[in-house]
Amino acid sequence: MALRNKKVSTVALGVLGAGLLATPALAQDSKTITIATHYNQDQMAPLLECFDAYEAQNPGIKIEFQQASYGDFLPTILTARIGGTSPDIYNIYSIWAPQLVASGALATPPAEVQEFISANYSEGAVDAARLDGTIWGIPTELSVYQLLYNKKLLADAGYDAPPKTWAELAEIAAAVTEKNAQGNITTGGYVYGPSVANAVHPFYSQMYAEGTAPFNEDLTATNFTSPAAIKILERQGRLFADGSTALSSTVEDFPAGRAGMAIMANWNKQGLKEAFGDNFEDTVGVAPIPHDEGDGGTMLYSFYWAVDSTSDVTDESWALLNWLNTAQDGADLSCTGHMLDELGALSGNTADLSAMDTSDAFTTPFVEAIVSGTAKSQPNIWQASENDRILRGYIEQVWAGQMSAEDALAAADAEITAILAEQ
Amino acid sequence: MTDRTDPSAMPATPAPRVFDEDPVRPTLGQRISSKKVAPWLFMAPVIAFGLIFFILPIFYAAFISLTRWNSLTPPKFVGLANYKYLLTIDPRFWDTFWNTAYFAAGSLAIGIPIAMILAYAFTRAWGQAFWRSIYWLPMITNVVAVAYIWKFLLDDSFGLINQALGFLGLPGPGWLTNPDIAMLSTILVFVWMQLGHNMLLFSAGLASIDDSYYEAARLDGANETQVFLRITVPLLKPTILFVLITNFITGLSYFTLMLVLTQGGPLGKTTVTALYMYDMAFADLRMGRASAAAYILFFFILIVTIIQLRIFRRGGVDAH
Repeated sequence: MALRNKKVSTVALGVLGAGLLATPALAQDSKTITIATHYNQDQMAPLLECFDAYEAQNPGIKIEFQQASYGDFLPTILTARIGGTSPDIYNIYSIWAPQLVASGALATPPAEVQEFISANYSEGAVDAARLDGTIWGIPTELSVYQLLYNKKLLADAGYDAPPKTWAELAEIAAAVTEKNAQGNITTGGYVYGPSVANAVHPFYSQMYAEGTAPFNEDLTATNFTSPAAIKILERQGRLFADGSTALSSTVEDFPAGRAGMAIMANWNKQGLKEAFGDNFEDTVGVAPIPHDEGDGGTMLYSFYWAVDSTSDVTDESWALLNWLNTAQDGADLSCTGHMLDELGALSGNTADLSAMDTSDAFTTPFVEAIVSGTAKSQPNIWQASENDRILRGYIEQVWAGQMSAEDALAAADAEITAILAEQ
Repeated sequence: MTDRTDPSAMPATPAPRVFDEDPVRPTLGQRISSKKVAPWLFMAPVIAFGLIFFILPIFYAAFISLTRWNSLTPPKFVGLANYKYLLTIDPRFWDTFWNTAYFAAGSLAIGIPIAMILAYAFTRAWGQAFWRSIYWLPMITNVVAVAYIWKFLLDDSFGLINQALGFLGLPGPGWLTNPDIAMLSTILVFVWMQLGHNMLLFSAGLASIDDSYYEAARLDGANETQVFLRITVPLLKPTILFVLITNFITGLSYFTLMLVLTQGGPLGKTTVTALYMYDMAFADLRMGRASAAAYILFFFILIVTIIQLRIFRRGGVDAH
């Protein structure tokens, strides 16, 4: 028995020793690329298959996927960086870039990658990834805002077409609105929402539609005190004052068929399809954002692949990203494009976008806005999240009738301009 | 003094070895198990835990509060600029501070009397354990679930509460959307969450009151109200003050419910300082300013707690 134990020990030591000796050799041969996204495992399924294919083609490369929810994504990146465990590749929201770039967190893409992006991505997508003249990553998902309306509710109220101007919108919203005996809205004519983006993004989109950018060209000051901006917010406040909307009536009511109109992004398509089922096309309509002046337009925001500056596999990461964003083996879509297509999302990659089936009535207006360039990218301003939250606070004051649009936007302008001056 | 290691200094006739022999050096095991060392060894994990996760962060936060730091680049020393900004420039900090005070004071004013009365009633009711379990349930329910349930209940148009009010022909307020009452609604939900915990503390306090006091009072002709006000409340004072202090501290630093239930709205009326700090740190990446806000809140809690402890000593423990 003792002899047997000794033998076992000898074999175990031998295996351990061999393992220890082999480990450095394996570590030298194999490189691991860690990719972090806010997409979950199910949403990432097409990309995970691509990771396996890439590993098979490149035996020295191992790819690991990390997921963090959208709300926790930035803190997760920061914590990982502090702990020295940063992922090599991130899928970041474009407005996070100014702080990440200023602190040296992002690696500058090689010239050939920048050329690849310039040549293969739409203008709005490239603008979203550009900061101080440098393109910092490969655009992925684009979200564009348009006016969504419930065709049936509008028809029941006697309107067979969506509004083209804000005056028309106010008239239709008043006609669609229904209230219960307690005076609470049961069907909102027009709705906003509880999040910062639910107020700020429609406001920016309306500014673009009226032909005025929310910020000046070098992003050091706002255009909030412009007559166009003040008029937009005044009209929003009037919808609340008229009782055509309320804080309790939100975009969450739209899939429930209890909201007439809202400015919403294309990524809502899947949720709305699930909510309305076979009635989706007969119920949900998409139209350009109503405007009185200018040529019309809207806002888009973008995510993009970026590489961490502390990564020790920078070249391998850019090579992988290049592969993931180029259609392989005669496929119509790149790996990233395939994943976005499965999600019902739109790609900034022009080849992917043209290969996607975007001919349905819901998607076409969004694609047209991207292709025509009328969808302008959300400005990559300094401290965007903080500024957006400040603006949301002042917009709410106007909705509640506690401030005039002029005063609220002047106050927002003063606070935000002071923050922009910090950079 | 005799050098005991020098053989020449040894006395001719050896003295009894019991007293002058080299003391036996304790082994490592004996040292570890000695009364001097063992307690520290047993406490070492807790001390290490406290140092790493409490003491170190407190001092580190104090340092960070004097810097501008976005957690991506090295902190830049700015002195008291963060404190100055929060106390004199920030248009929102004081609003969040008063929201915090309102929430903490409101949850005490509403929650403690209800918990005390219910605990008193259940000490005289059948099935005390059952009722305690029922009222304790919100404490073991996840705050996210609590928030979602109450969101549905308090919905303006379709919430059960407004439906019931409508059935009675009463108006249905915007519980979570009216800026004037959103904080009150939040306080009521928090009181509901904390009720079981406070009831349990009061029940323990009530159980420690000797029945002879009640018997004597009733023999003297006291009715139930007089017994409650003259016997129960005074003898329950230490428990009341303990519940006051712990609930007030909890109320001042609490923000999870607001984060899930109202996201600080409407119009920032339910944004408490802790929630504001959370946004400052993790959405705005202003770690220095958030740390300064944490220290301001810390000193406020410290002052209030010291005042409460003084009252506690005078009127509470010392009085009994």
